[in-house]
Order: sequence, then structure tokens, then C-alpha cells
Amino acid sequence: MLDFFARNRVATLCAVTILAFLLIGAVAPGYLSLSTASVVMSNSLVLMSVALGTMLVILTRNIDVSSGSVLGLSAVVLGMMLNDGHSLGLAIAACLLTGAVAGLINGLLVTMLNVPSIIATLGTLGLFRGVMLILTGGNWIEELPLSLKALADNGAVGFSVLTVIVIASLIVVGLFVRQTRFGRYFYAVGDNREAARHLGIPVKLVQIAAFVAAGVLAAIAGMIFAAQIGFIPNQAGNGLELKAIAANVLGGVSLLGGSGTVPGIFVGVIFLTSIDSALVFLKIPAFWNDFIAGAVLLLVLLLDGRVRMAVDRAIRAKRYAVHHHTNPDQPTASSPETMSKPRTQEAGE
Amino acid sequence: MKRYLLRWETALLAMLVAEFAIFGMINPRFLNLSNLLYSTSDFAQIGIVALPLTIVIIAGGIDVSFASAVGLCAIVFGIANFFGMPLPVSILASLAAGAAAGLFNATVIHVSRIQPLVVTLGSLYLFGGAATVLSGVVGASGYEGIGNFPDAFTAFAYFELGGLPAPFLVLLVEAAILFVVLHYSRFGRSVFMCGLSEHAARYSGLPIKTIQTITYVMTGVFAAIAGLVLSSYFGSARVDLGTATLLPAITAAVLGGASIYGGQGSIIGTLLATLVIGYLQQGLQMSGVPSQISSALSGALLVVAVALRHGSAVLADFVAARIMAMNRKRAAS
Repeated sequence: MLDFFARNRVATLCAVTILAFLLIGAVAPGYLSLSTASVVMSNSLVLMSVALGTMLVILTRNIDVSSGSVLGLSAVVLGMMLNDGHSLGLAIAACLLTGAVAGLINGLLVTMLNVPSIIATLGTLGLFRGVMLILTGGNWIEELPLSLKALADNGAVGFSVLTVIVIASLIVVGLFVRQTRFGRYFYAVGDNREAARHLGIPVKLVQIAAFVAAGVLAAIAGMIFAAQIGFIPNQAGNGLELKAIAANVLGGVSLLGGSGTVPGIFVGVIFLTSIDSALVFLKIPAFWNDFIAGAVLLLVLLLDGRVRMAVDRAIRAKRYAVHHHTNPDQPTASSPETMSKPRTQEAGE
Repeated sequence: MKRYLLRWETALLAMLVAEFAIFGMINPRFLNLSNLLYSTSDFAQIGIVALPLTIVIIAGGIDVSFASAVGLCAIVFGIANFFGMPLPVSILASLAAGAAAGLFNATVIHVSRIQPLVVTLGSLYLFGGAATVLSGVVGASGYEGIGNFPDAFTAFAYFELGGLPAPFLVLLVEAAILFVVLHYSRFGRSVFMCGLSEHAARYSGLPIKTIQTITYVMTGVFAAIAGLVLSSYFGSARVDLGTATLLPAITAAVLGGASIYGGQGSIIGTLLATLVIGYLQQGLQMSGVPSQISSALSGALLVVAVALRHGSAVLADFVAARIMAMNRKRAAS
């Protein structure tokens, strides 16, 4: 049982989240309701989309800190197209294209020029934000047409078109990285780039694809942002890249690449977002928000790291005990386990 | 001679000179000496945090939490001052808060053995949140500042010695100290060793944890100094004082030649890179370029500069490989 939780960060986080929900529900009656769930869900959409894209990049052992600016830039493109009288479909297409191009720039910098990804995306973080400000001339984009805002309206069943889009992209990405050959390449490239190259995997193409996908998902987040807020301020998406990375870490995505799952992202994002709504219900002033988010993040990491180390030790002890008794069947039975462990051992060094 | 010409620092110096030349041509007032000196007050804090950050990066770590540590230490100072502590005590409290923040980072990194980027990302939120909560304690709720400092303190940022404004002076003194510490001391050599290969460092008996802890504590202390300088400059301690230094400071360290993988970097490089970044912003502003374009340009500068550096390394490898192949062919024939 303990073994299961220690191995499975998603399960741990799920349990912690549910426990937290129950505790808050006990203190503040009325918190546990469908309307809260719907609010948390719609508040988490932007972060969810960005974090999903960031996960794809982190899987390939890169990092993307430019997603906040990509969000802003593509939202501005969307807003300007709409206010120029173009149709909604065309504007959304342009918005997604902007995200894809931004991701392509990141990808080319990282793969072709060999710039470390954190540096490259740090540079483009400033670059894209600047391009966005040049486009808007420093003004906010307001008076977005109703057709866009209507996307954020809750339908008859309590969730909006945007929710459907995000859930759909979660499912698509989840199936893609689990079920398709190219999707599995993401893990291979992140786990061991050289080995992946020697196996004939198009390492550079995979990395570029990850960055482009992250760009498109950030653009989707930009669209959600514009639809939900109804205007686009200059600082749209500021600091979101760090929150997305935090959600990834919470959701069990290893920054060393090669491990991470979509359900993890979902739980991580929901957890981070539900802190906000819980504070409102507990009548705690909003300025505690960052403190609690940071403390929880560090606490989860600390516990997770320690527990993982303990489990590694236990598994190793068990393995040696098996060898000691020289049972011919046991070592082969335990070998899949040993195969899956080197990563955590490396992280534990 | 060649040894010095081919250094990255020389390229940075050339960049700085080119900046001066271009902006001087556009707006001659830019080259006015007092303008050049006084505009440093607007970006000295970037260098103050970027220099110790360089050492952290060289030792194989990274720290992004300094951005909120700056605000936290400023708030600690403001609160100590608010409760009527004498000035030296308040300053000491602020420095101690910085050191504690650094120690906290190092401890969590060593206890959890998780990548420093993740840990300091968590403490970025934690420190920022702590600062907001603390400023709420004294009634400066939300994002208001804490003011009412003694005159001696607010006068400090406008004090000058030999024509050099105090913030810039702080930066120069700090750079001198850290230059000696990093490049001419046993500790400095072990910092490089840690970053180059942690295993090699461990097997040669270096106290890796202690060395890395010292680098983080140093970053915390200098973040506190940056917080004090900024509070003095603005006349109030605010939570978000350091937020704007996060990306420029990392940019300065990386542009200055620090390798994000550890084991490489220099104090002079980071100092020059700080000046390049700072004067780029100032120069663009004085040339009448709107601030939005200048932020795009400085992002582009980072990308281009780093791409050039890595691109030239790739090119050099390629050329070297070609030469070797040619030699081999010649030897074979």
C-alpha cells in the first residue's frame, strides 16, 4: 500500500487533494458543491493548457519558460484579428499559427544552434512579450466581440466549450504520448538522448515537435484567457510559465526528462487552482495565496523525495535478499522493476 | 595577446563599446559622463544579484528565488524599522533574513535531493508569499510599501563617492570581492570543481554540500543588499521590488559566460553583461524607442548573443573536425 503511494506520485497527490477538499469542506460547509467544482475547473483551464504543453517539452529533457509570453502574443493576435472584423474561425487559426511559429523558433534555437533550452526560451520570453507590446502599442485590447466571449459561457450541463477543448486536448495528448510510436519517442529522447539517436529516432525533430506543440497549447490558453476575461491586458500570461512548471513538478513530471503523465498534470493543476478557491471559502486573505502554494509545493517535493529514497532502499534490500537465497525464478521476476528504477536512483544521487 | 582577445569577456566589452558608439551617435547626450554614471542606479541591483548567482551557477546549481528574496529582505528591514529598531539592527535583520533564505534553499535541496531549479521555484513563491504576509502584518496590506525610513538611510542611494553613485559603488565593491573569492581563492577553485564534476569533487574530498550551501547563502545575502539598496533608492520597501530582476539577472549571468551546466563562468563577464543589458535599456530609452520595443530588443539580444556563442562553438568543432579529417587523409596518402 505504502509502496504503491510512494511509486505513484499522481496517486499521492490525488489522495492529498481529496483529503484537502474534505478538510476544507468540513470547515467551510458549502465548499463541496458542484458549483465550486465548476469554478475550479474553469479557473484552471488556462494553466492546464499551458502546463500540458510544458510537459511535452519537459518530457524531451528541455524546458520552456516562454509560454507566458506566447500566450500573450497569440491572445493579442486573436484580439486584433477579431477587432479588425475577421471571422472567429480565421482569428483562432491565426492565433494557433502564432503559437506554432513561436514554438518553432524556440525549437530551432535549441536544436539547430544548440542553445540550452532554458536560455533560449528565457530570451524568447522577452522577445515575444516585446513583439506583443509592439503590436498593441502598449495598449490593452478591449471590447472583444461577443462571439469570442460566448465560448466561455457555461452550457446546459455546467461546462463551456473551452472546457471541452481543454479536456479534448488532454485526452489527445495523453493518447498520443502513450499509444503512438512518435509519442513514445518523446520519452525516449528525454530519457537518453544519445541512445535515442543511436536507435535512429529523429531526436531533433522530436524536440522541435515538442516546442511547437507547447506553442500551440499556449496559444489555446491565450484564446481561453481572452474569452474568459473579455479583454487582453499587457501582462497577460505573466508568470504563468513558472506556475506551469510548478504544476508539472507537482504532477510528477521529472525535470530530468523521460517521465511524466497527463493525469499527473490534471491533478497538479487542479490542486494549484483549488488553493485559490479554498482560500476564499476559508475567508483567508488572498495574500496568503503564494505562501501556501510555495509551502505545499516544497512540502510535497520534500516528502516525495524522502519517501522515494526510502522505497529505493527497500527495493534494493529486497533484491539483494532474493539473490542471497539464490532462487532461480526470482531475479527474472524482479527485473522489470530494476529496469524502471535507474531514473529515480539517478535523481536520488 | 591572442589569449585575451579570444576571451568571451572581450566580445562583451566590444558589445558595450558598440552600444556606446551607436547610442552616442543617435543621441550625443547619452555619452554625457554624469548620465552614464547616474543611469547605473536604475540597473545596479541586477548586477548585485547576478554576481553571486553566477557563482551558484558555476557550482552546478541555480537559484530563481532571489527575485522574491529581494522583496522579503526589504520587507523585513521595513518591519524592523517600523517597530522602532535602530538602523544597524534593522539592516542586520534584513541581511540575516537573506542568509536564512539562502540556507533554507540549500537545506531543502540537499535534504530532498531534487533539482535546484524546482526547489528554488517553490521558494520563489514561498518567499514572495511570506513577504506579502509580513507586509500585511504591519498593515501595509497587499502590495503597498512600507516607508518612513530614517533620512540617513534614504540618503544612502543618492550618496556619491568620487562621482560614483552609491548603488554602482556597491556593485563595484561586490564585484571586486567576489572576483578575488571566485578566481583567486581555494574556495573559488572548489566551486569550479563542484560544477565541472560533482563526483570528481566528492572523490577528491571536497565538502560539496558546504560549498554549495555557501553559494546559496551568498546569493541570499546579496539579495538582501539589493533589497536594501532598492528600498533606499525608492524610499519604501515593497514586496515586488525584486520581481523585475529575475530574468535580467539570469540573462546577465548567462550572457556573461556562465554555463547553465556548471563549471564555467566569470565575475568580470557577468559584470560586463550587466552593463551591456543595463545600458541597452537606458540607451534605447534615450533614443526615444518606446519601452515595449526595448524589451523585445533585449530579449533578442540575449538570444542572438547566446546563439552566436554556441553557434561559434559548433562551427569551431566543425572546422576542427574538418582539419583533422584533412590531416588524416594527407597522412594516409
